[in-house]
Amino acid sequence: MANRTYEVMYIINPDTDDDRIAKLNEAVGKLIEKEGGSIVRMDDIGRRRMAYQIQKKSEGYYVLFEIEGTGQEIAELERRMRVNDMIMRYVTVRVDEDRKAAEKRKAKREARIAKRAKFRAAPAEAPAEA
Amino acid sequence: MADKEMDILDDRDLGVGEDVIGDRPRRYQRRRPRQVVPEYVDWKDVDYLRQFVPERGKIMPRRISGISAKDQRRIAQAIKRARSMALLPFVAD
Repeated sequence: MANRTYEVMYIINPDTDDDRIAKLNEAVGKLIEKEGGSIVRMDDIGRRRMAYQIQKKSEGYYVLFEIEGTGQEIAELERRMRVNDMIMRYVTVRVDEDRKAAEKRKAKREARIAKRAKFRAAPAEAPAEA
Repeated sequence: MADKEMDILDDRDLGVGEDVIGDRPRRYQRRRPRQVVPEYVDWKDVDYLRQFVPERGKIMPRRISGISAKDQRRIAQAIKRARSMALLPFVAD
């Protein structure tokens, strides 16, 4: 099966010790690799003010993973995150399709600009167009 | 920059007309999209999304934001994703 790209972001309870956070992130990375996924990018965003309170906390420790895989590792990861009480919130977004669509849009936009530039440069060549 | 933006917009008519709502006709004017939405709208880019989220936290309607329906859907989706991770508020007061 074709590989998919996901973004997994989770919020850790800000009262957690830094070394436990580091250990948790390491464990997440290991789990992904064990389940056959690969980590494209890992971004330790850190403590950040949340737009609303979650579990009576107004701050959270944000971590972002970009993962390439089949989806199996996501299932396992989500199952573990659900039962982990250090993790207050998580979300997974599949990004490969949106990115592909963005590429297409970009190509289309550029083609249109190129076409217009050509038309402007030599208006006599194609007078009846559009 | 402004010139470049105009280049990639479609030529469409700037319709002017009247809508009868209630007893008084309301004038409206269709506008050109005021801005170019990037090809990929990142749900983590809070600073960008904020321009479509006024004070109250609601998503700006298309009639105000002035972007295309397609772009509006992408923006709305990104805002909703950002909300679920407390990057943006559901309601702010």
